[in-house]
Amino acid sequence: MKTNYLLTGLTAAALLFASCEADDTAEIVINNTDNSVDNSVTNNGGTNEPEEPTGEAIDLQGTMTSDLVLDSNNTYTLTGPLVMAPNTKLTIPAGMTIRAASGANVYIAISQDAVIDAQGTSTNPIVLTSAASSPAAGDWGGLILLGRAPINSTTGGSATSTSEIGGLPYGGSDVSDFSGVIRYVRVEYSGGAADGQSENNGFSFYGVGNGTTVDHIQAFEGKDDGIEFFGGTVNASYLSVVNAQDDSVDWTEGYSGTLTNVYIKQGVSHDKAIEADGFNTDIGNNSNPVYFSAPTLNNVLIVGQGNTEGTEAVRLRAGTQGEFNNVIIQGYEEGFDLDGDSGDSPTGQGVLDGLLFVDTVNFDDVTLKMKNDTGYEFDESDFIMNEGDATGTDYDTWKAGWTVE
Amino acid sequence: MRQFYLFLIGIIFSAATWAQGTGSIVGVLSDKEVNNEPLPFATVQIKNTSKGTTTDFDGLYEISNVEAGTYTLVFSFVGYETVEVPNVVVEADKVTTINAGLGATAAALDEVVITTTVSRESEVALLLEQKKAVSIQQSIGADELARKGVSDAAAAIAKISGVSKQSGGAGNVYVRGLGDRYLNTTYNGLTLPSNDIEKKNMDLDLFPSDIIQNVAVSKAYSTKFYGDFAASNIDVISKDYKGKFFLDIQLGSSINTRAIGQDFTRSEGTGYFGFYNRYDNNPFAVILSHPVDPVDGGTPINVNGSISGGKSFEMGEGGRLSLFATASFANDYEYRRGSAADFTTVEKQVYDDVEEFEYSTTTTAMLNAIYSLNSGHKITFNSLFLNSSSDEVGNFGIDGNGRNRDAILNTDSGFFTKNIQFNQDMIFVNQLSGLHTFDEEFELTWGVGYNKVFSNQPDRKRFALENYNLALDNDPSTNPSFYNNTNFDNQRYFQNIEDEELNSRLNLEYTVSDNFKLNFGYNGRTKERFFKNIRYGYDLIAPNTPVEDINNLDSIFNVPNLGTVYDTFVFRAIAPELGIDNRNYPGLDENRYTGNLDIHAGYINAEITTGNWLFVPGFRVESFNQSITYDVINLPPDASGYAESYENFYLPSLNVRYALNDDSNLRFSFAKTVSFPEFKEVAPFVYEDVTKRVGGNPDLLNDPSFSDVYNIDLKYEWFFGKSELLSIAGFAKEIRNPVNLVIANDATGTRRYFRTGEKANVYGVELEVRKNLVTDADENAVVSAGINGTYMHTQQDLRSSNGLFSSTLDRDDELQGASPFLINADINYSPTSFENYKPVANLIYSYFADRIDALGSGQLGNIVEKGYGTLDFVWRNEFGDNWEINASAKNLLDPDIEYVREGTSFGDYTTSIYRRGINVGLNVKYKF
Repeated sequence: MKTNYLLTGLTAAALLFASCEADDTAEIVINNTDNSVDNSVTNNGGTNEPEEPTGEAIDLQGTMTSDLVLDSNNTYTLTGPLVMAPNTKLTIPAGMTIRAASGANVYIAISQDAVIDAQGTSTNPIVLTSAASSPAAGDWGGLILLGRAPINSTTGGSATSTSEIGGLPYGGSDVSDFSGVIRYVRVEYSGGAADGQSENNGFSFYGVGNGTTVDHIQAFEGKDDGIEFFGGTVNASYLSVVNAQDDSVDWTEGYSGTLTNVYIKQGVSHDKAIEADGFNTDIGNNSNPVYFSAPTLNNVLIVGQGNTEGTEAVRLRAGTQGEFNNVIIQGYEEGFDLDGDSGDSPTGQGVLDGLLFVDTVNFDDVTLKMKNDTGYEFDESDFIMNEGDATGTDYDTWKAGWTVE
Repeated sequence: MRQFYLFLIGIIFSAATWAQGTGSIVGVLSDKEVNNEPLPFATVQIKNTSKGTTTDFDGLYEISNVEAGTYTLVFSFVGYETVEVPNVVVEADKVTTINAGLGATAAALDEVVITTTVSRESEVALLLEQKKAVSIQQSIGADELARKGVSDAAAAIAKISGVSKQSGGAGNVYVRGLGDRYLNTTYNGLTLPSNDIEKKNMDLDLFPSDIIQNVAVSKAYSTKFYGDFAASNIDVISKDYKGKFFLDIQLGSSINTRAIGQDFTRSEGTGYFGFYNRYDNNPFAVILSHPVDPVDGGTPINVNGSISGGKSFEMGEGGRLSLFATASFANDYEYRRGSAADFTTVEKQVYDDVEEFEYSTTTTAMLNAIYSLNSGHKITFNSLFLNSSSDEVGNFGIDGNGRNRDAILNTDSGFFTKNIQFNQDMIFVNQLSGLHTFDEEFELTWGVGYNKVFSNQPDRKRFALENYNLALDNDPSTNPSFYNNTNFDNQRYFQNIEDEELNSRLNLEYTVSDNFKLNFGYNGRTKERFFKNIRYGYDLIAPNTPVEDINNLDSIFNVPNLGTVYDTFVFRAIAPELGIDNRNYPGLDENRYTGNLDIHAGYINAEITTGNWLFVPGFRVESFNQSITYDVINLPPDASGYAESYENFYLPSLNVRYALNDDSNLRFSFAKTVSFPEFKEVAPFVYEDVTKRVGGNPDLLNDPSFSDVYNIDLKYEWFFGKSELLSIAGFAKEIRNPVNLVIANDATGTRRYFRTGEKANVYGVELEVRKNLVTDADENAVVSAGINGTYMHTQQDLRSSNGLFSSTLDRDDELQGASPFLINADINYSPTSFENYKPVANLIYSYFADRIDALGSGQLGNIVEKGYGTLDFVWRNEFGDNWEINASAKNLLDPDIEYVREGTSFGDYTTSIYRRGINVGLNVKYKF
């Protein structure tokens, strides 16, 4: 009983009762023997030359209501949420490394109508990473883009939904919405939990339109998903996700872009390589007329941890549609697991209608190529058109210089 | 005992009258309606003389200086039969003792307005009060409570027409389909705090009937109520006592047919009496010092006991101090076995086999002290302490077939959740109130109350496992493992709420003439809430860490394993820049908010009688100021952290009564009232339950920050015999800009509060009949029955909203919580033919039709609570003056309690179903 009660009437009785119960709780003492914080190892890639910053050390956080241009002479530390308000632009120069302090509430968000210009090069990538001395997945949030492209969790028009992280609005009706340019950007050790159920991804694309340019991005050692699309139409190419502890690539809420050249390598802790939903099953498919996620994936290489019980490469759920061209899957018990029902999640109907299929796939060390839990009857051949001719993506030719593994 | 007292009094009076040369008459008047308790304030008159008096608190009277002779004595009391006792012989210097008992009749009501001293435990008296009342209200008194075997206030008001109570944990009370946020609860006319973050009103389950004199439910507005009124004001009047010394002790026990024989477990560190003693410690110290596994919960036999006593003392000239105190303890074991699911348009989490063990306690103590200076002035002090606790252990998916669509190892089976939580609510209420009359023209009543609430959920533990089916096979080499998708899938959680409120009432009644009376009043309340919580996640370091024994998680979550087998995580690190980060260190509070509410109101009303008409026009002006300061996780960084609203409300009302004849009234009532948001609806903190997330919305304090409510009631009532009644009422309400809890458009499907549309409408009719079917020679009921029913139509327009949060709605629907049809009925058998044995048997039935528990939004259908009926049997037996033995069997029908998601592509999907079991109990009471 810590607080001061108004000592009247029956308080004494209450105290008496409470003191009957055991406490026996130990004190905590924090002996913080600072082992001279070691910041020298920031990643495993070895691509980072020791920097020699000549400028200032600047902490970044807060809502920016005007353009923000980061100066390559300065050293930036992300100490909280950095949100670019509408009609602002964030410019990050090639070769810059931004280190994020620990915490789930540490992330960079590009609001609707704001843009990001983050153009690294294969030799000078932009790296968003943890500032911790021994970085680990989940140290910080990640990179979040929010746009005005359609999502099927609202009825359309100008209606918006709010993001899992930071509660920012997204969604609309502008298919070709522009959120900026992201090239040669690597996000490391992201995925901190924002509340008990929400985790940051490496890259989160919320209702991002296809006016946006995304290529050569890598999510490395994330606690949650590597790259997730919440609706939107954005196209992306040269995607690499290594050691994401949840799903490596995830889409939902009616995403309909094209992903070309995708490399996924799963680590010891992982969920699915690709987990795909036709709509957000927490709030329902509120689009009118109803539509589902239906992206196109070209040239995909998925590398698992080996064919052990319960491992699954691709989970297609909640009515998602989509086209998989030229896919290699290595080392899983199951290749494609199709999940749905005959009601609001008609994943199987998509197969029957030719809206969900795999054209050219190679299975390497995979026991079950396709599992049908959709409630619809179809054959493997209705879903998998060709097998054996896939080449996947030649990761070696495009990973050099800017990725780590 | 009584005889002895009279003898004593006789001697005293005799001594006093010897000198006079005349005689006197003394005696005690008892109340036949209330177990022959003393009847105070009754009139005793010597017929055809001017001599007379009134009985005192103990029902005693004395008429002295009576010339020797033979007289007729007339006993009368408002609403009671008048008794004449002829041939009373008074001799000089002697004392004549005449004792009498008065009973009620519903006729003879030509006396003045019933005063506040009427014994409001008696059903008949309450009916009379209802008949005389200037507005529409219904009360249920201690007598009826006892007769119907009602053990607490919530069950009590559920016997009133239009009122329905949700079964089980939620325990929401609905009045005419409007739920918690549209009700107010007061205690002796002063505000009563809520014990639960989720509620505005106190859980009336916590009020044992020992404390209650009566519960008045006012379904029509009167200016003395706070303007935040839409469905009803529930006033719990505490028991007081004015008679001679008494003491009674009651002990009882009961069992639940489903709980008996189960192996109960409960949280470690909590006590049998429902207290917990680790609030002083940092939660991180608690999780390091104390294990996670639940401990033995004892044998599931419920016990209860109470002790009550009272005594009056004379204090100086005409003064009197009356004390009443009661203390009670009751506990309850409940075992629920059923299913639970989170189903939106797909199965998100499904547990076909769930078992929950709940051990709950209620401890109460109340002290009431009344000091009467003389008949015109009275000061009352009331102190109430309540402690309620609930210790719950839930195992979800015990058949190994639980499913979570986001499971990692297997989405088709083996998901398992264990939830161990303890809630403790401590409520302190202290009130000082007074009544003063001046010159019979002015009556001043006032009250000041100070409330304090500690509502805590310390150290809730939650664990999630995959492949639980492997724990059920006989192969020790295969085991389930922890589900560890986020750092917080396995967690310990601490939440503390502290409420403090000061409130007051003041009313001056000015009787201008017999036909015109004015009331001037003031109400004020200032309330503050502090909320904080913190949570530590257990992140298992190795993927798929196996669990060899679900009942021995202590072998994993112990101090030596910290940093090797698991890490702890917290949301807000103390000093990450110094290396004290969120891993394996204590942290700062996860969410905090402070809410403030200030209300000041002045009102005036008049009671105007002309012929058979009574008009009560009233007007209230209320200033309202509410603010909330919050610091919660995962909000947009530019969220202000503050919201405030200031408004002045102008609230006219009119109550009209037309007496058709002596036995029947026609009533009409109109009032404009308001409804404003509660702290929990405004604070954007999100509470994460096993299968749902609920959060507030600060936009509710933006324009408009309140709802206008228009109320119209029309009622016909006919008191056609002794304790007999027929009434028919119609009502209509319109709530502008109503607030509803709906699923927000956000990536996690959090439920939040929104102003969902322009208006909601409620129309309904209520019918109530109480009738004596068989009476004895004295017209006492031997068999009586009562039934009340309500039929309602509700409608609201639901529209999308956009703000800090947004929602997708576009339809018209019923109101959440509104059953179209409610019924409460009872039948009573109380034979009067035995000398020293008074049995009373009661059968009580209640039913409600399907009602919306949560509104669906977008593509999602509503969650509907399926209607069911309950039947209770209560048998009271009084033996002589001292003993009482009562038996009861409750929830005899043991219905399915079922919730469904409507309108899925597979029809209605059951999201939860279970049964509560039949409670059979026996109580023994001894009156000293």
